Amino acid sequence: MGVLSTSIKPNFLGLLKFLNSFNWFIVFFSLINLSVCIYEDQIGKFDWRQTYVGRIKFSQFDTVSTAKKIIVATEENVLAALNLKTGQVVWRHVLESASTGNIQLLHVTDKVVTVSGANPYLVRGWDSTTGVLLWEWSLMLQKDDHAEFSEWWVQHGMLVHMLPVFGSHLEVSMYNLMTGQNRGSTSKLPAIWTNEGCVLSPPYYSCISGSMGSLLLLSLDVTSNAVQIISKPLSQFISTEESSLRPLDANSIQPGFVIGDKKIVLIKNNEFEMLGISVADESASVALVDSTNGPMVLQTWTDDIKGFSLIAHSASTGKEVTEVRCSDPSLRLPEPELAAVICSKTPRELHACRLLVTAADDSLHLMQQAGRVLWTREEALANVVAVEFVDLPVSDLDAAIESEFDQKEAAKMYSSVWAAFSRRLQTQFQQLQTLLQSLQGAETNARDTSTGLVRDYFNLHKIIVLVTDVGKIFGMDNLSGAILWQHYEPSLDPSGAAVFTRRSARHPPHDAYLTIVGKHEETGNGLIISLNPIRGTLVGERSLQLDVQLLQCALLHRADQEKLHALLLLDRDENVQIFPVSAAPLVENMFIYVAEKNTARVQGYALKYDGRSVVAQKTWSLSLGGSEAGHRIVASSAKPASERTHSAGRVLGDRSVLYKYTNPNLVLFVTEGPDAIHKDVVVATCVDAVSGAVIASAAVRRARALPLAVHSDNFLAYVYYNDKHRRTEIGTMELYEGKQRWLEAGAAFSSLRASRAPAVYRAAYVLPAAPRAAAVTHTERSLTDKHVLFALSTGAIVELPWAYLEPRRPVTPTPEHREEGLIPYAPELPLPAEAVINYNRTLHRVSAIYTAPSGLESTSLVLATGLDLFYTRVAPSKTFDLLKDDFDYYLITLVLGALLLATYSTKYFASRKMLKMAWK
Amino acid sequence: MNYKLTIIFFLKVLHLSMGIDYDGWLNIKMEHSLNCENGKYCNRGTISIKSIRTGTSVIDQITFGRTHIDELKELAEMDGFYSIRTICTSADNKETEFLSSVKAQDFLNSGLSDVISAWVLPSGAVMAINFQVDNSSQALVLGSNNYKIHSNFYLRYVEQAPVPDTASYIQKLEREREAREKGELKDNRSFLAKYWMYIVPIAIFVMISGATNPEQAPQGAR
Repeated sequence: MGVLSTSIKPNFLGLLKFLNSFNWFIVFFSLINLSVCIYEDQIGKFDWRQTYVGRIKFSQFDTVSTAKKIIVATEENVLAALNLKTGQVVWRHVLESASTGNIQLLHVTDKVVTVSGANPYLVRGWDSTTGVLLWEWSLMLQKDDHAEFSEWWVQHGMLVHMLPVFGSHLEVSMYNLMTGQNRGSTSKLPAIWTNEGCVLSPPYYSCISGSMGSLLLLSLDVTSNAVQIISKPLSQFISTEESSLRPLDANSIQPGFVIGDKKIVLIKNNEFEMLGISVADESASVALVDSTNGPMVLQTWTDDIKGFSLIAHSASTGKEVTEVRCSDPSLRLPEPELAAVICSKTPRELHACRLLVTAADDSLHLMQQAGRVLWTREEALANVVAVEFVDLPVSDLDAAIESEFDQKEAAKMYSSVWAAFSRRLQTQFQQLQTLLQSLQGAETNARDTSTGLVRDYFNLHKIIVLVTDVGKIFGMDNLSGAILWQHYEPSLDPSGAAVFTRRSARHPPHDAYLTIVGKHEETGNGLIISLNPIRGTLVGERSLQLDVQLLQCALLHRADQEKLHALLLLDRDENVQIFPVSAAPLVENMFIYVAEKNTARVQGYALKYDGRSVVAQKTWSLSLGGSEAGHRIVASSAKPASERTHSAGRVLGDRSVLYKYTNPNLVLFVTEGPDAIHKDVVVATCVDAVSGAVIASAAVRRARALPLAVHSDNFLAYVYYNDKHRRTEIGTMELYEGKQRWLEAGAAFSSLRASRAPAVYRAAYVLPAAPRAAAVTHTERSLTDKHVLFALSTGAIVELPWAYLEPRRPVTPTPEHREEGLIPYAPELPLPAEAVINYNRTLHRVSAIYTAPSGLESTSLVLATGLDLFYTRVAPSKTFDLLKDDFDYYLITLVLGALLLATYSTKYFASRKMLKMAWK
Repeated sequence: MNYKLTIIFFLKVLHLSMGIDYDGWLNIKMEHSLNCENGKYCNRGTISIKSIRTGTSVIDQITFGRTHIDELKELAEMDGFYSIRTICTSADNKETEFLSSVKAQDFLNSGLSDVISAWVLPSGAVMAINFQVDNSSQALVLGSNNYKIHSNFYLRYVEQAPVPDTASYIQKLEREREAREKGELKDNRSFLAKYWMYIVPIAIFVMISGATNPEQAPQGAR
């Protein structure tokens, strides 16, 4: 009967146990069948992927092929073609992220030519319509002392490489573009006048040189056979001595440059020619483009008052071209730069231009001549640093109902039964009203966007707040992936930024409140940005720059009167700042730890309110690498702050319970350091962040740690590369109190009064792949099975049940193990293709995976960031609390109706039969 | 001077000596912030370990006087921490400093008994020295002028993590293969355990049909 009872258990593991009692081979196959994969018609139903290319470095219009495209090469070492009409990626090549993939040159004719890498350089030709690699040859420089100053361009079918040695000479080599054959030997041009401020405007190399007071403007055509230096005193062009050179933007048609951010000088027939057009703004981006009426000078900049501005002049006459003009105060492009411009001839002799404009916030805009934006790409999203999932507010009606049933509120307001009764009637009247409104027409609701953003029944609809490396913050709808709001903070350096939801949206009338703690880009001091995550408007402290550098930040666990959780900041001088200051008396039993990455020292502080202010007292310090230098913390992982564990233990085969050790203050540190005997050692240490006590630890010899660690509930895992066996392995630990509880159920756990050590189970498995990111699924009550998500270098995200990583997997299973549902030990982890949650949508360079609980216990929301964004939802124990997508409502209605019909008809027939019987 | 010796042997020799590559002595100097005349920390005692591998330790501590207890009580009143700074010196002459704290009230309640655990890395370096209050001890009897500190010292080793156990897995597979070659494993389960899934439905069927029959049965009897 025991076997039967377990088989009836509704969950997946129960089924496993049942099957396991026969043969574990069946278990294996059943797992494959039950693993998470989707049907073909579900593609894109719960997930979306957005592909990005990164900040644009080079761009050129592809006008040769029939389908108009823009070819771009980016800072992320991506070569891609964008559709001119929509901005979608047509094809994309992701090169190596290291300097070997660094793109030095993009040249587009009928083919796309790139030079990438850093000595050896790779010259590649690509087909512009399909992106197929056509040819490739490599180039190795003999000396690479000054290789970083190399300049490349293509001239008359030859690839020119110029290597300036400042103050000495220029080395110019020319190669056949297709084959790499060297035309002649490298020519050395003497040029003692060169310096680091020189600019290249192919084929001219121009410098400002000479002593102060007698500065000369010098230019040299480096490809011509005869060395002809054009030289003019600088005072002929510009009056001020303070001068700088910068080249023209957007692949200008003639060699030229801007002097001192004021004057435009072109080089024509080996002569300088100063244009009569002055640069409109110091920061203006200047480009010289071809148009129907001869060359045209385009300028664009952002004015504080006028906003985005664009003007154009004819280069020959200096007259302003009125068709190409824009001044849009609503368009805010920080530091716009013309990346590529094309002006085509229309039958009516009008200028029809397409301008590709990049901005300092990494966005890419395609504009028409009048400044109308055709499409925008937010390339900042290719570098996401921090992510937070934010709940949406409940609708007004739901809020009213909630406040009605809120215990405290109710006690305050409705002291009498009659008051409560009238309130109930009122709410019901409101409900009726909304029902009538919704019947009248849904359009009225759709007009107001804020009403659209309300929580759905299962809390699956959220807003994802993304903080990007460039300092731009986005609010994104998680169901559609649409950007709802954006906020650009140029001074934010978000490396290591922390995002806190200080007030969720479930406390009407208060709005949600989100704070980002980062660094100031220049000073490194703390920078706090507080905003409303639903609307994207700054609230509270707004954008606040502190005057000290920060060590650590934390959220106070107790909310103040306005349901706002205060922000605690520990600065470098170990002083504590609290926002808002009025919350200081709430600080009690608050502990903070600071881990120094490079020295592996971890320190703990106790925060206390002493009547006037909050003070931090250092209470513990550890040195995770011992006294030796060279140890560093590679990864640290605390439990998610919102985690609630509702399952206290595991039921064993003999019906006893193994209780989990769920210390909420536990932090996992993975350190790595040199060792005298074993080369490198990786040490995983679990530290109680309140008392500083080491709870468990494990050392791996001859291994290097990967910055991947997951920690949830009572288990933790860390990934390392085993140098001895040359493979990636994963070490796992589980902590248990034992078969008896240490504390009564529901009793508060105190780190300071716990001196017992938990039982630690450890195991290691081979991970037959190269992981880039890892995360563990996160559900509201932690009742659902936990799965670990690994983003692999192959571009897949694999979902692996924790049951496979469990350290308690027995090598030789006993019937009791089988009964419990433990999978027998196998050293290698299975990574079946069915477990890939992003099916065939390859994700390049995944940097992190973020998970968040939804309102459904079965479902966890997942966002993978990297070059691409991928969002999906996973159900580790299947959607046990939700009807299937393909649930046949028709059939069940039909069956019910038929049954009802049958019941009544049989009743009728039965009565007739009874009547007949009576007559007999 | 009235020094007290507390010796605790901690032997897990067979297992632990495998985890430590290095052997040497350790000297742990303990300092606290009670009754110090000048400076923040003053001496509380020392722990000396002759051999890391065996973990034999000698604890040598001062006794607390009335002033110590008074200061501790003062700390306890404001729910403060009693902090102990430890400086660890090892054979290769490197000093590492650690800090650990216990609640002053808990320390008083436990009758000045604490558990000191030092965590040693495989290289022999000390990673952490934690002080925790011993829950089991009884409260302090006040009134005297000399209070002993009851300290239990444990040397704990960062154990070597297991490696993927390929050898035993392959062995197991081979054993299974051999067993299969020898012929089918004899199924020695009982008849009921083997065929219960056939028996149970039949039994249920019989029971259901039996439940519907009773009305007919008396009719048949008539």
